[in-house]
Amino acid sequence: MRLCDLFKLALSNLKRRKTRTFLTILGVVIGTASIVVMVSLGLGMSQMMLKSYQDEGSLTMIRVYESYERSDSNDRNKQLTELTDDNVERFKAIDHVIEVSPSLDVSVSAKCNGAEGDFTIRGVSQYYLSQLKLREGGEIPKKDQSELSLIYGNQILYNSFYKSKTYESAEIDPEKDTVFLTFPTSSYSDKKNNSDSESETVKKQKKYILPISGIISGGRDDWSENSYSAYADIDSLKRFLRKLYKKALVPNPRTTKNGKAYTYYVYDTIYVFVDDMNNVKDVQKQLADMGFSVNSNMEWLESAQQQLGMVQMVLGGIGGVSLLVAAIGIMNTMMMSIYERTKEIGVMKVLGCDMSDIRNMFLFESGIIGLMGGIAGLFISYLISFFINFLTSDSGGESVSMFIGYTDGGSLSYIPLWLAAFAIIFAIAVGSIAGYVPAVRAMKLSPLAAIRNE
Amino acid sequence: MEPLIKVRDLYKIFNIGSNKVYALNGVSFDIYKGEFIAIVGTSGSGKSTCLNMLAGLEAPSKGVIQIANKRIDRMNEAQLVRFRRQNVGFIFQSYNLIPSMNAIENVAMPLMFRGIGYEERMKAAKHYMKLIGIGDQGMHMPNQMSGGQQQRVGIARALVIDPQIIFADEPTGNLDSHTTDDVLDLMKKIVSEEQRTMVMVTHDPHIASWADRQLKVVDGHIVETVINESSPIEIKIKEENGEPPFCVVTPIN
Repeated sequence: MRLCDLFKLALSNLKRRKTRTFLTILGVVIGTASIVVMVSLGLGMSQMMLKSYQDEGSLTMIRVYESYERSDSNDRNKQLTELTDDNVERFKAIDHVIEVSPSLDVSVSAKCNGAEGDFTIRGVSQYYLSQLKLREGGEIPKKDQSELSLIYGNQILYNSFYKSKTYESAEIDPEKDTVFLTFPTSSYSDKKNNSDSESETVKKQKKYILPISGIISGGRDDWSENSYSAYADIDSLKRFLRKLYKKALVPNPRTTKNGKAYTYYVYDTIYVFVDDMNNVKDVQKQLADMGFSVNSNMEWLESAQQQLGMVQMVLGGIGGVSLLVAAIGIMNTMMMSIYERTKEIGVMKVLGCDMSDIRNMFLFESGIIGLMGGIAGLFISYLISFFINFLTSDSGGESVSMFIGYTDGGSLSYIPLWLAAFAIIFAIAVGSIAGYVPAVRAMKLSPLAAIRNE
Repeated sequence: MEPLIKVRDLYKIFNIGSNKVYALNGVSFDIYKGEFIAIVGTSGSGKSTCLNMLAGLEAPSKGVIQIANKRIDRMNEAQLVRFRRQNVGFIFQSYNLIPSMNAIENVAMPLMFRGIGYEERMKAAKHYMKLIGIGDQGMHMPNQMSGGQQQRVGIARALVIDPQIIFADEPTGNLDSHTTDDVLDLMKKIVSEEQRTMVMVTHDPHIASWADRQLKVVDGHIVETVINESSPIEIKIKEENGEPPFCVVTPIN
C-alpha cells in the first residue's frame, strides 16, 4: 500500500470521530505545552544566569595569581611562579590563548570637590582596555601617549568618595570636576643615601591631576568586575611610576635577600584571554599545573549551571508526567477505535490488506494525533512563554521587544528552535509508541469478524 | 480439464469445553474454472466454515485445499492475505462497505491494497461500476444507498481486482426477493460472460438453484450434489473429462 494512501486513510478515520480526536489531541497539547514551558523556564533561567555572568565580566578570561601555597617552598619555585613578564610570554604560548594582559595595580587616594576617596589604578594591556565597554564619548588610552590618562570605573563615581567630615558618600563627576590624586609613599629606600629618601617623602605629598579618557558604561545600579577600579595603559603607567619611584619601579617593591629592589616588574594579577568559553577549563588547568593560582567566571558559571541542570530535570519531569497521561489517552482512544472498527478491519483483511499496512494505518493515526497535538502544544507554549515574559519583564511597555528577541532584562522563558523541533518530534514519537500496542492488536484481529453478522 | 480448486478430506473440529464438534467432517470435491457453485445447507451445517477455509480465513484442522496449484492450507496468515489480494474477490451478506468512503472509493479499495495509484484504480473502479449498472452512483456514500445498490457496489469491489475466484457469503441474505433475483441474475451473468469462478454459500434452496452445481451440506458432510444439466460449463466439463466433476457424496444414514 502506498504511503500517501495510508496517510489519507488514517486522516479520514480521524475525521470520522471529530470530538474524540479533538479531546485526545487536547491531551497531547497540554502535555507538550507543559514540557516545553517547563524546559523553556529552565533554559531561560540558565540564559539569564549566563548573561548576568557575562555582564559581570568576560567568561573567556582567566585570572592568574601567584600561588602562596608554593611560594615558601624554595626560591627557585618562587621565581617561577612570580607574575613576571617572562611568565606573560609563557602564557601566550599556551594553545587557545589569544591575549595575556598583566595588571599593575597602584592604590591611590583622591580628592575631588571636597570629597575624599581611594581606588586602584590598574595598568593593563591595550587588549584588555579594548574589551572595556565605555560610556559614549570615551576612548581608551593610546599605547604611546606621553601623558597617563585614566578610564574610571562607573562605581568610582558613586561609591568610592565620601565627605571628609560627615563620611556621607559623595558622587563625583571626573569629567567636570578635577580629581587630585596622591600616590603612596615608597616603602623602599636605598640604604646608601638616606637623605634622598627624605626628599622623596616630601615628593609623595605632591598631587597629580591626570586626564580622563573615559568612564566604564553603566549607571549607579550596574556592577561589573571593572566597575571599581580606574584603568590605564600599562606602558604609560610604568613610565609614570618610574618618574615617581625611580629604580624601585613600584611603591612597594619586592626585594632580594640583600635588600635590593627587584629590577623587573612583579604583577599582582595576570589576565589570560581564551578564544572560546569551552576552552577555558582546559587552559585553566594548564595554568594551575604550572603552579599558579587561577580562577575564572566560567568555573563559577559551570557549578551554578550544574545546579540549574537539576532544576531543569525536575521541571521537565513535571511536564513529562502530563505527556505520559496524554500518551495513555492516545492508547485508550486507539483501543476504543479498534473495538469499534473490528468488522472494518476484518473486511480489509479479507480483501487482502497486508497486516503491516493495518498496523501502519493505526500507527499513522496515533502519530497524527501526536503531530497535531505537538504543533498546537508548541503554539500554546509560545503564547504562555510570551505571557510569562510579559508579566516578569520590568515594564509591560517593553513587551514588544520580546517578540523581536532578547531584551535587557532577559526572558524567563526561552524556547529555542531545537526545543521546538524536539517537542514536535517527541510528540509524534509518544503518539506512535502509545499507538503501537493497539496497532499490533488491530493487526492480529481475525478476518472472520467481517463474516459474522450481528 | 484441470480443476481450479481441489479439496480433499477436509475437517474442521472445534473444541467446545471437553466436547469435539465436527463442523466439517471430511469433505472432498473439485471446482472448475467458470463454474458457479452453491454450497447449500441449514445454519450450523458447516457450509460457512467450508467457505471460510476455501478463502483462507480459517485454518482447517485436517485435509488439503489446493487452489491454482497452491496449497493454501499450508500458508501462514501473511501469505494468505497476499493470496487473497491477488486471487480472491469476496461478497459479504451485509455488504461491509467502509462507511467513510464513497461508492467508487469502496470499489477501488482492494486495488489500493495492491499499491496501485489513484488515477489507475479509479479508472478500473469506474469500469466495473458501469458493468454492474451503477456507474452513476460513484459519489454516493454507503448510507445513502439502498441494500441492492450497496450489494452491487460490493460485487464491483469483488470484481475490481480481476480475481480467479469470487466467494460470496449469503450475498442476498439482506435483500428483498425482487432485488435478490436482480443480484443473482447479475452474478450469474458475470460468471458466464467474464469466465469467473464463483463459490456461493446460501441456506435457501431456491437461491441455490441459480448455480451451475449445488453441494448440499448436512452436519459437515456433502449429502447430495445437483448439477444443472443445461449449464454450458457443466456440459463442457463432462465433454472434456468424460465424467461430472469429482465430489465425494455421503448419503444420510
